[in-house]
Amino acid sequence: MLSRTLLLFICVVLCCVSVHAAQPSNQNASPQKKANESDMPAQHVRFHAWGGSAQVNGYIRWLSEQLKQRHNITLQHVKLADTSDAVARVLAEKAAGNVEEGSVDLIWINGENFATMKKHGLLAAKWVGQLPNFALTNPDDNPAMTMDFGEATMGMEAPWGRASMVFYMRQSHLQKLQVNAPTNIQQLLSFSQQAPGRFTYPAPNDYLGASFLKYALLSLNPKQHTLFYQPVTPQALDDTLPSLWQFLDALHPNMWREGRTVVRQASQLQRLVGTGELSLAFTFTAAEIPSAVERFDLPTDIRTYAMDDGSLANVHFIGLTFNSPNRQAAIKVVNFMLSAEAQAEKQKISVWGDDTVLDMRMLTGKQQRLFKEPALHPSALDKTLPISLLAEPHASWTDALRNAWYERYGARY
Amino acid sequence: MFTRLTVFTRLLLFLLLLMPVSVGFIGVIFPSFGYFPALDRHDFSFDIFKKLFAVDGLGRMVWLSLFTGIGSTLLATLCTFLLLAACYKSSFLNKVQAMLSPLLVLPHAATAIALLFVLSPSGLFARLIGSITSTTIPSANAAFFPYDDWGISVLCALVLKEVPFILLMALSVMAQPSNVRKLAGYQRVGVSLGYNEKSTFFKLMLPSIYAQIRLPILAVLVFATSNVEIPLILAANNPGTLSTAILHWFNHVDLSMRLLGSAASILQVFVCVFAILFFITIERGVALWGRNRLHAGKRNFFERSIAFLGTSVLAVYAVLIAMVVYVVVMYSFATYWPFPHLLPQGFTLLHWQTALSAIDEPFWNAVALAFATSTSSVVFVLLTLESEVLAPAKQKVARLFSLSLFLPLLVPGVAFLYGLVWFQQLLSTHALGFHTYIAHMVYVVPYVYLSLAVSYRRFEPRYAYVAQSLGKSPFQVFWHIKLPMLTNAVCVSWALGMAISFSQYLPTLLASGGAIPTVTTEAVASVSGSSERLTAVYAILQGVMPFMGFVIAWTLPAMIRFARTRKRNRFSQKVMRYGP
Repeated sequence: MLSRTLLLFICVVLCCVSVHAAQPSNQNASPQKKANESDMPAQHVRFHAWGGSAQVNGYIRWLSEQLKQRHNITLQHVKLADTSDAVARVLAEKAAGNVEEGSVDLIWINGENFATMKKHGLLAAKWVGQLPNFALTNPDDNPAMTMDFGEATMGMEAPWGRASMVFYMRQSHLQKLQVNAPTNIQQLLSFSQQAPGRFTYPAPNDYLGASFLKYALLSLNPKQHTLFYQPVTPQALDDTLPSLWQFLDALHPNMWREGRTVVRQASQLQRLVGTGELSLAFTFTAAEIPSAVERFDLPTDIRTYAMDDGSLANVHFIGLTFNSPNRQAAIKVVNFMLSAEAQAEKQKISVWGDDTVLDMRMLTGKQQRLFKEPALHPSALDKTLPISLLAEPHASWTDALRNAWYERYGARY
Repeated sequence: MFTRLTVFTRLLLFLLLLMPVSVGFIGVIFPSFGYFPALDRHDFSFDIFKKLFAVDGLGRMVWLSLFTGIGSTLLATLCTFLLLAACYKSSFLNKVQAMLSPLLVLPHAATAIALLFVLSPSGLFARLIGSITSTTIPSANAAFFPYDDWGISVLCALVLKEVPFILLMALSVMAQPSNVRKLAGYQRVGVSLGYNEKSTFFKLMLPSIYAQIRLPILAVLVFATSNVEIPLILAANNPGTLSTAILHWFNHVDLSMRLLGSAASILQVFVCVFAILFFITIERGVALWGRNRLHAGKRNFFERSIAFLGTSVLAVYAVLIAMVVYVVVMYSFATYWPFPHLLPQGFTLLHWQTALSAIDEPFWNAVALAFATSTSSVVFVLLTLESEVLAPAKQKVARLFSLSLFLPLLVPGVAFLYGLVWFQQLLSTHALGFHTYIAHMVYVVPYVYLSLAVSYRRFEPRYAYVAQSLGKSPFQVFWHIKLPMLTNAVCVSWALGMAISFSQYLPTLLASGGAIPTVTTEAVASVSGSSERLTAVYAILQGVMPFMGFVIAWTLPAMIRFARTRKRNRFSQKVMRYGP
């Protein structure tokens, strides 16, 4: 009995090993084989995108259901904890001479990851112009659709959504602490002095952390804005940084954990507001705040608002890799992502709430009606109030600012 | 025939361990000397190392790695022995093992997160205090844990995670038939010579046990020194440990930082080697001191304090585990949960629905991968161990082999996996499942080997001699004598292999290019997100999955024994039915 059991066990093991070794290659070869064989090919597109948000993941699931129905395309969401993992993978493929069989088709990027991929030739060029729906973004009138942090996109990535930096706070905390929510950069400093430990910002290697530094820099130097939209120079840094250092030197001792440690990722800010360790934070995805309240991740006393001295605004993109084996299907996917229907679904507060990149003037009346929102959530940003937007500085500022910060306050690993 | 098969397996296993790591290692060495064609770097130089040693705070990072690594291993070893000494004689020990198992199987990332749930300034502990002092706003600035400058939080989390592992190793050594008799003998001798219970354990039994679990402890040491997840979640980042810096450099948007990351990986290897040497020195010192104490012949050895400390270790674990389970389960069902209330305002299934709606594929991927890697590892390792008996290799070769076992544990994952992925890409871009399997094997095999080798090498050879002298072939000896006697150890190693495979994040993500999502890759992605409640759900899932492996491992030997007994005593089935 025992020997038979064990023999069976070993057999199962060996079968498993051999099946497992053989299986993957079959699995991977099959979609392509099918593509050649039948007329209506079942295509497979792998979309590498940050997977830390339930709302975003849910929306991408919706996208893949729609694409399956409409175009018989399977959109696989490869959930990343860090987008640079995927960038690293494409780089590894290029290093290994893999120019046709890449494992990444589409990738959700902007700013620096784009600059990196562009620099190393990891993206396919000039495919965005082929998208029928790209015209709906009205790129001629909206330079933000073809500029990513001051870097020309050259048809390597298509705009997907828009975001601006807004603040949110715990109303009950502020009442108890008897402080008002700050509405400009100077008030933020006095807020932190009156209520020490209630605010922090992520380390500058996080995009939100870098964004906070840019917001502070822009707001503290209102007269020198032209400098920020050109490549950075040592002279420009000398002119603008002293005011930033003066501000941060005063802010840090009054931050969360006295500024000795800072959070690594933007999402941790929301988590700390949720648990009550912070009373004030900021985000680029204003719509996530009310839906986080709906999902109980944030308490009901959260209120979202924009600073009076301006909100940093930027666009995020979808890139297509240079070695994607599913190029045509991927282009179809992105075209669908830019359709009025998909963009309107994305903008719904209950779904994701990411602002559309489409220009309303380019849409038909029927398409425009898709974007109408029902009643406002108490925790949501009131979009009827005017927001003054601050455009992202030229990409070269990000690194310069970050390095200067590290030099002054020490590296944070 | 059987002998040849075992020798062949040994060679195969050797290649399986050596190839990926050495290829990956080459992928680190070249960039660290400035050679990286993908970034147009073709010249060899020491510039990268110069740059590395000029990095601000490097000394502190190395110090933190060493302090948390060596400190936690020493403390965990001590705690384990205190625990064992305090209750090795009672039947309570098995319950202790079962009690600690949640922490044994919980992946490191999940452990760190669970600790945050309990000990952070807004955690359960703070809620308890807050509800007494009626504070409504939790203050992070008054708290010590986590993110302290000394790395104490990291050290504590590592200790917490290591004690169950070392205990498991020690118990599996103590449970071997040959050891059971030997240790019982030591104990009898000790008692008859007037040594009391605890000093018998420390002076007579421990040296014999320690010698057998030394290798796993060194593996723990290396792992603790280069662990990434725990410092990433619990350490202050001004700066953190060397391993987190390596991860940071490898993930940096500026791809040329990879060169710095590669150089730092080489440094990490040296840090680990230093940690081992330091640990061995301490070991020698303790052995010398112990021998002197033994010669002194005192029959008493801190009897009271050992009992007290052993029980306190147990008490701390009991309290922490109860709190972790409570808070994680609560969070996974909680609606709003304002500070400092001890109960959420309401309960919902929303978080479970969100997580479970997307868990199907990752779950089966994880199970398939873990089953394939762990089971094949156990088979390979068993055959390899058998080959050491049947056809012993030359000493040099044997040494090379044990070195190859430690390699995957010595080279930080981020570094050598990058090199490995590059090589796998050269071979084939399709066999993603196979690549992932190999990447998992690199981590699973050493642990399975370490946990199994101990039992195997201490197997009482006279059983085999007797069987052989009665004319049994090597295979028959292996199959009918050794395997049945080692069932316990084999099952535990298998479950450990499953757990190790379940917990792999980077190998899975990098080798599969993200195309094979597992529960752990989903969980880590959710941890980088903003939902405390979803994280709790994933932490539970991550704990439950390997736990199922261990449940199988604990029940299977009993079932096999039962089946065997039944076969032998078909006629006495009636007795069995009325028996216990």
